[in-house]
Amino acid sequence: MTTSRRLEALRRRGVGFVAGVPCSYLKRFFAACAELPPTAFLPAVREDHAVAACAGAWLGGVQPLAAMQNSGLGYCLEVLTSLHLMYRLPLPMLVTDRGDEADFEEHRILGQRTRALLDLFAIPWREAQLGSEDDEAEWLVATSRARERPAVLLLGRGRDS
Amino acid sequence: MTRAEVIAGVLARLTDDDVVVAADGAIAREAYRALDRPRTFYMLGSMGQVASIALGLAMTRLERVVALDGDGNLLMGFGGLALVGGLKPANFYHLVLDNGAYATTGGQPALSQRVDLAGVAAAAGYRWARRCHAPQPDATALEQWLAAPGPAFLDVVIDADDPHPAPRIPMTPEEMARRFQRSLQ
Repeated sequence: MTTSRRLEALRRRGVGFVAGVPCSYLKRFFAACAELPPTAFLPAVREDHAVAACAGAWLGGVQPLAAMQNSGLGYCLEVLTSLHLMYRLPLPMLVTDRGDEADFEEHRILGQRTRALLDLFAIPWREAQLGSEDDEAEWLVATSRARERPAVLLLGRGRDS
Repeated sequence: MTRAEVIAGVLARLTDDDVVVAADGAIAREAYRALDRPRTFYMLGSMGQVASIALGLAMTRLERVVALDGDGNLLMGFGGLALVGGLKPANFYHLVLDNGAYATTGGQPALSQRVDLAGVAAAAGYRWARRCHAPQPDATALEQWLAAPGPAFLDVVIDADDPHPAPRIPMTPEEMARRFQRSLQ
C-alpha cells in the first residue's frame, strides 16, 4: 500500500478522478493512484488523452485531476485550448518541472519554457513545496474552478510526497 | 447510406438517459440537426479525442455513453482505442462514421481506406467490433451494436458525398458545456 500525502490532500479537496502519464518525479504519486478504484484512475497512453478524459469526468459531475511530465504539455495544447479554455472547463493539473541544467538534455528545451508556455495561455501556476500539500491542493482545485480553466501545480525534483 | 441517415438512425434508438459525444466537424453539426438533445456533447475542436472524452464520462457515469466518431478523427487519436480496449468500460458504445476521407477540409483521402479499424478495436480489447458496409440492412447492424456487450465498436462505411451539409451549431461553446453538464446533474 503506497500512500501519497499529495494525492490524499487532493482527494480531500474533492478529486474523484485522476488521469495521467507517469514521470519519474511522481513515482510515489502514481503508485498511490494505481491503488485507487478502477473507475477513479485512468492510466493514459498520452497526455492529450488524459486531459480530454478529465473534461469528460468534469462534465459528468466528478472533480478530475491530470498528472504528467511537462513534456506532455506540448501534446495537450490543442485539447487545453479548444476544449478546456474554449468551453471554460476547470482542470487542476499536477505537472513536473523538468529541464533545469542538471536534468537530461531531452527535458531542457520545453522544460525551460514551461512557465512562459503557461503564461502565454493565461494558465495560472504555482510551485509545489514539501509540507504544503493541503494548501496547494486547496489552491489548485479552487483556482481552476473559480477561473473555469486549467491551473497547474509545478513539481520540481524531490517534491513527490 | 449517408452520414445523416446513420446519425438519425442511432439517435432514434437511444433513450433520453443515454449520453452522446459527437465528433467535431460534420458529425456534431449533423447530430444537432438530426436531433438536438441535452445529453449530447458537441465537440468543436480537439480532433482525435472523441473516445477519450467519452471514456471520462463512461468511467464516472452509469449511463450508456455513445461516441459518434469519424474515421480521420479516430486515426488522429488512435491511442484512444488502447484506452477503451484496455479498460473495457461496459457502458461504452463507439460508432465510426467512415467516409474514408477528411470531409470537413475538402475530402482528402484518409488511411482508413487501408486500415481495418474494427480489427484494431477487437485486437485492442473491445468486447464486440464489426464493420458494416452500406447499403445493407443497417438498422440491424445498429441494433446488434447497441445490444452487444460493451465496449462495442461499429465502423459504418458511409457515402463520401454529402450533398446537404449541416450548418454550424447556433450555441456558444460555453452554452453547450453548461447545458450538457446540467443534464447530468
